[in-house]
Amino acid sequence: MMLKLFNPPVSGGRLLAALLLAGLLAACDAAVPQPELGVARAKADQCVEPTGDMRRNHMQYLLTHRDETVIEGIRTTQHSLVECVNCHVAPVRADGSAVHYPDKDHFCASCHTYAGVKIDCFQCHADRPQVMDNPDYPHPLSANRYHQLASGGGTTVSLSDMLAVSGMGSGSTAGEVRP
Amino acid sequence: MSNTAIVYREVGEGRGFYLLLVLFGAVVAMGALAFFHLEHEGHHVTGMNNQIVWGLPHVFAIFLIVAASGALNVGSIGTVFRKPLYQPMGRLSALVAMALLLGGLVVLVLDLGHPDRLIVAMTHYNFKSIFAWNIILYNGFLALAGFYLWTMMDRQLKALYPYAGFAAFSWRLILTMGTGSIFGFLVVRQFYDSAIMAPLFIAMSFSFGLAVFILVLYAGFAWTRRPLGDVVLNRLRYLLAVFIGAALFLELMRHLANLYVTRRHGVEQFILSDGGIYTQLFWVGQVFLGALVPLSLIFCRRLVGNRLSLLVACVLVILGGFAQLYVILIGGQAYPLELFPGATVESTFFDGQISRYAPTVWEWMLGLGGVGISLLLVTVGVRVLRFLPVSLADEVLDSDDS
Amino acid sequence: MSDGLQQVPQRNQVDAYRRHFMAAVTGAATLATLAPGVILREASAATRPDVTARPPEQPATSVVRWGMLIDTARLGDGGAAMVAACRREHGWGHDPRASPEQQPQWVRTVRVTDKLTQHSFTLPVMCQHCEHPPCVDVCPTGASMKRADGIVQVNKHICIGCRYCMMACPYKARSFVHEPLTDQRPHSPRGMGTVESCNLCVHRIDTGRIPACAEAAPQAVIFGDLNDPDSRISQAVQALGGTQIRADLDLNTGVRYLNI
Repeated sequence: MMLKLFNPPVSGGRLLAALLLAGLLAACDAAVPQPELGVARAKADQCVEPTGDMRRNHMQYLLTHRDETVIEGIRTTQHSLVECVNCHVAPVRADGSAVHYPDKDHFCASCHTYAGVKIDCFQCHADRPQVMDNPDYPHPLSANRYHQLASGGGTTVSLSDMLAVSGMGSGSTAGEVRP
Repeated sequence: MSNTAIVYREVGEGRGFYLLLVLFGAVVAMGALAFFHLEHEGHHVTGMNNQIVWGLPHVFAIFLIVAASGALNVGSIGTVFRKPLYQPMGRLSALVAMALLLGGLVVLVLDLGHPDRLIVAMTHYNFKSIFAWNIILYNGFLALAGFYLWTMMDRQLKALYPYAGFAAFSWRLILTMGTGSIFGFLVVRQFYDSAIMAPLFIAMSFSFGLAVFILVLYAGFAWTRRPLGDVVLNRLRYLLAVFIGAALFLELMRHLANLYVTRRHGVEQFILSDGGIYTQLFWVGQVFLGALVPLSLIFCRRLVGNRLSLLVACVLVILGGFAQLYVILIGGQAYPLELFPGATVESTFFDGQISRYAPTVWEWMLGLGGVGISLLLVTVGVRVLRFLPVSLADEVLDSDDS
Repeated sequence: MSDGLQQVPQRNQVDAYRRHFMAAVTGAATLATLAPGVILREASAATRPDVTARPPEQPATSVVRWGMLIDTARLGDGGAAMVAACRREHGWGHDPRASPEQQPQWVRTVRVTDKLTQHSFTLPVMCQHCEHPPCVDVCPTGASMKRADGIVQVNKHICIGCRYCMMACPYKARSFVHEPLTDQRPHSPRGMGTVESCNLCVHRIDTGRIPACAEAAPQAVIFGDLNDPDSRISQAVQALGGTQIRADLDLNTGVRYLNI
């Protein structure tokens, strides 16, 4: 009944392991994509916190803000994820194709891929501004419209009114949209 | 103590051992595949939906969890009720209990919408939720059963053995109460809302757990050619009959009580006569094959001492247990919620309709994967540590107690 | 039949209800037609909005309790427009891979027919925003939560997707997202593996707007603060009542109905 297992010589095993490890390391090294920081640098002076602070602590700001918003109903815009996306993610690329978080050139993904960080924010949150039916949609930061509204600017326009999700033709009420 | 003469030994590294490893490992791999598929695709690949929110994986998970606490009983009878006959089986009892619980928990966790947030479930507790209490109860059970096992295997901790046994026994009763109360505390579901769910689940755990234990014990002894006497098997045999009877009795009381309450007539009629698959599973699976046939196999005079009849009875109890949990879980959800008593309701959200549910292959794979994990853990366990006595022959055992 | 005898006074009663509701909806304009017991203060009902915007840095408080009164007799379409508005606002109802049974529905119209009398009506059913929500009681992590202002919602950040709240909800108000989603509405995140339901358009309320469904049926729905005795909704429920679905469960729902 006893079964003699194949027992590889120790040196062979070590050699195999070393080879595998070396191969793995080589592969990893070759595959590291550099983060695309151009977008971030271009807007660094307009960001809600200093650049270094954002690089280190953006997740803390988001975590604190998310609980304040969902649990307490605090709706400040300074650390809102929607605002980050509005400012940093263009709805489409130059060629008109949609950019999503799983793509390497998504603003958040470019760095997270480099750093090996896994997040689940975009399982629920929109990973790009929702303007598919409105290609002339100006950048919210440059237009300064959404920030104005959120800080009590007094217009009746809100982002939600300008947006429509695909498959919902009547997504926006004509009277409320002021592109 | 009688079991001072009992010698425990690991099972050998036979071909059968590796065969079992490969077999159970393959089942676990299938479960893992199903999990990754679900994790990637979402639950739309399952038969579960917004009406039947808990499906086949939960039947498997709850069966394993319920059976886990029942499997510990054999040890408890030896420790808490001081029956020397049962004491040599205490180690295996604790091992099977822990293995079953782990298998069940894995299925339960991997079926979550967000299994990656298990840490959230461990750090955020809503103490009004019986589900949150169950998380604590499961972890505590593993810890206590592990400690109980330690006191059985380490002579230096022998003094703590009775206390560990008593603590584990109490804990397992509370755990099964908690599992039953997951359903018992659902006020609006007519098939659940009842305190009897707690004792019913305890009785079910006695029955399912012992059936699993007997099969494992028999397989462990037969496949390693260790003597297993009639004394111990017959004791377990009649104990199983008592447990089957207790579960059947509580189920009877539950349905009788429901039949007395007018507003529950609808759901009772559904389960007992009009429910199609659920009605068949209830009468044929749970009552006939899962209780009446095993009781006959156990008590039939011609079959006294017949081991095959005991093994068949155990298999039937397990299958009947699955049927029972399927009827409770899926059948109870299939019957629509009563939004407006005394009125019929219809909507685009399937209000007032009997919900349809057909488990997909992924759910079977995930559920069976949990069973595979349990069996794999037991197999590895008896190989690496001394769980199995060398002999449970009649002459080895001190059976002059009650 | 006794039903026939009851019909005339009932009809009158219904008409009275409708007049009251009209008064509540339109404010002081129809004050003259109100019964003596119904007092709608001109100033409060006519000029004050149902929801006033909080400063964004201020948390929701238990001073207010949001509620909704729906007159099914004045809906006309049984609430279909409300459902459509909700779909538009939150982007549910067209998840590409889900089967019809798996498709989330935050609100649906339910046709109710009495088994004996065959009396029938249609009403929109969504999360009823209970004061004592069973979904909050059962949630193991506290993801299913009631905000200070009475809004019951899922904190999806800590939802593990166990679906126990769906088992516990008497109104079948909760749905589970069965597949990965993209391009959600930015103000209404929804995603795979979490449970979701009507949140009274919490993003709108926080910025001083009424929920999308209430906006879509202004002739039949009053939204507002149930804790404020001067609010339109408080005046309306005081004068006309407001039936709860499954009132026997004693959950004290925030969504109330007329003519059901």
